Amino acid sequence: MVRPIRNIVIVGGGTAGWLTAGIIAARHQGRMKADFTVTLVESPNIPIIGVGEGTWPTLRTTLEKMGVSETEFFRECDAAFKQGAKFARWTTGEKHDFYYHPLMLPQGFAQVNLVPHWLRGDQSRSFCDAVCPQGELCEDGLAPKMITTPEYQAVANYAYHLDAGKFAPFLQRHCTAKLGVRHVLADVESVEMTEQGDVKSIRTKQAGEIAGDLFVDCTGFASLLLGKALGVGFKSCSDILFCDTAIAMQVPYAAPTDPMASHTISTAQSAGWIWDIGLPTRRGTGYVYSSRHISDEAAEEELRRYVGPMAKGLSPRKIPIRSGHRETFWKNNCVAVGLAAGFLEPLESSAIVLVELSAKLIAEQMPANREVMDIVAARFNEVGHYRWGRIIDFLKLHYVLTQRPEKFWRDNTDPATVPSRLKNLLHLWKYQPPWFLDEFDRLEEVFPAASYQYVLYGMGFRTEIGPLDNAGTESVARKFMDENVAITRKLRSQLPKNRELVRKIHDYGLQPI
Amino acid sequence: MTNVVFLDKEAHRDLRVQGGTSNEFPDDQRFVQVVVNEFPLLVVHHPILLTKDSDTGAFICGAVFGFDAAENLFRDEPDAYRPLNLRRIPFFVAGGGDLAIDLDNPRVGTQKGQRLFDDGGAPTAYLQGVIAALGELRPGAEMTKIFIDTLLKLKLIGPIDISLRFDDGETRNLLGLYTIDPDALRELPDATVVELFRRGYLNLIYLMMASLKQVPVLAQKKNRLLLGASDALARP
Repeated sequence: MVRPIRNIVIVGGGTAGWLTAGIIAARHQGRMKADFTVTLVESPNIPIIGVGEGTWPTLRTTLEKMGVSETEFFRECDAAFKQGAKFARWTTGEKHDFYYHPLMLPQGFAQVNLVPHWLRGDQSRSFCDAVCPQGELCEDGLAPKMITTPEYQAVANYAYHLDAGKFAPFLQRHCTAKLGVRHVLADVESVEMTEQGDVKSIRTKQAGEIAGDLFVDCTGFASLLLGKALGVGFKSCSDILFCDTAIAMQVPYAAPTDPMASHTISTAQSAGWIWDIGLPTRRGTGYVYSSRHISDEAAEEELRRYVGPMAKGLSPRKIPIRSGHRETFWKNNCVAVGLAAGFLEPLESSAIVLVELSAKLIAEQMPANREVMDIVAARFNEVGHYRWGRIIDFLKLHYVLTQRPEKFWRDNTDPATVPSRLKNLLHLWKYQPPWFLDEFDRLEEVFPAASYQYVLYGMGFRTEIGPLDNAGTESVARKFMDENVAITRKLRSQLPKNRELVRKIHDYGLQPI
Repeated sequence: MTNVVFLDKEAHRDLRVQGGTSNEFPDDQRFVQVVVNEFPLLVVHHPILLTKDSDTGAFICGAVFGFDAAENLFRDEPDAYRPLNLRRIPFFVAGGGDLAIDLDNPRVGTQKGQRLFDDGGAPTAYLQGVIAALGELRPGAEMTKIFIDTLLKLKLIGPIDISLRFDDGETRNLLGLYTIDPDALRELPDATVVELFRRGYLNLIYLMMASLKQVPVLAQKKNRLLLGASDALARP
């Protein structure tokens, strides 16, 4: 008999659990009126990790589709705008060494590749500034929109910085009140399996047995279902990405009106890098480092030096980082999302976007019955491996182009630690710059070719361009670069300060249209 | 600059204000914020549209007077209805309900214009008119806000693109304007329609929709002005 998939059980209630619940419930609202249920089981005793504070622009669409008001999200999650990341001291380590990875595509990206034109030009402006306005908007501390811009719409593409500790409860309230997600507070004691190896139910201390057709493992590092119950192994990538420890410190502003950066600042250190994320009420900072290359004490010293006088009296929280992912993400009737699926250092804020993409894939491809579930699972795993591999490659890209002298950085450039796909691409890109028709051709590519461009040419990578290579596209390239100058000027005069707009959103709200 | 002070019948005994429309003070605002009680009076001349306050992003209702900055196409029509927000200039109501005046407004002086107080210190008919206008504006603004909030909640507001082409080749694209979305209105459930009718909102909604017909009328008016101007230039 064909067994329909009707009851979805999500185990774990952090950001991953609630985002997954919201995305699935929003997608299947029609069926939820009849026989489809989404249940989230969460331990009342396990605290959420809540380290992810940087997001991708995809979160705008995700929240909008869930029916969340952006104004409420700003007010209740201590959210702020993020227009990309500034990488300081990654290339040479000198004081003024920095580049941007903005969220806007280069001008005219669909029509012309500006890289070869920039490379053959005088390079009086950085690659980012030559092709898009966002680096300068960030340097000016500007917001990516105005108070008259409707919710979720952008003038300059944006994502968010948020307080992860507030985000999960916010999503919980929305999912239970508006989307009909059932919320069960209970500790999982055991996982009951069928003879075929499916998860039949979970036994809980407070709520008894909870059965389901599809189980989503959002139990964090513990991976209670996929890892423990189904025995799916963990594939470490610490041979590629060396950072294994983070120390986090929440730093108050000297004054509540202090400027607030609208980008993540990531500053290279002797054995890793420091993140610096501006929220309205505080800055979140943290040092991600390789314990093989620096002691905890010395790392804390570097973090304190970075933060300055405001670090006085603050004690950092230590978080272990286990870089890698499950060998399989969806096995039988159990799929892992979030930390249960894997974790990578937060260099490009890939955690929450991966949750969104995974949950969306589950929601869109929701198998109608158990018989076809394995087909969907195989697809999900193929996409999952592709995405994790790509992210690992892209994170490693930040490390291999460095000229920094410290052992941590030299070790990172050792070819033996570079994945072969990345090695091949770097070889290829010596002679042709990445663009369309490169291999980043998936519908939902985490990092498109533009991202590679910003990092490569921000870090001084050089591609050989022949004298005649640009002849055919010279005029259109010049047009887009000129347009960029005009747009940058216009936006710099129009956009409000990031701090000011966030305050106005708290005071007046954004309009829905 | 502004210099807003509380109105004081002793200190401001000799003050005069040129409150009306004149060549010197031609009411040169192309978009004047209005309140719902004014809709029936405005609809015979003006498009009544919504836009967003540039400071707060909040929706406001306004009457269109022209298409370009500082353009008032009704200067030659002294009998047309003059909105409360023009009639009150340069007065304000302060938070506590007290009357205040902007002494730096060029309409204010001691030579020209109407007196505020008579010799006995009593408010003149002009000042009484201003007080009446402000007295109508305050609750009117509150009612308008509730009306707009209702429209937003029912998702009845939609953007409107107004693109005009004049006979002399000039074009105008008016941005940031909103009106009633007729499709959304049609889809309202019956009970909501009855409720809107009982609250008087259905009438306001239809006045706003009808006022859109004033856009081409106003454009025609501007067209005549533009053609007149280019005729004048063409003459030797």
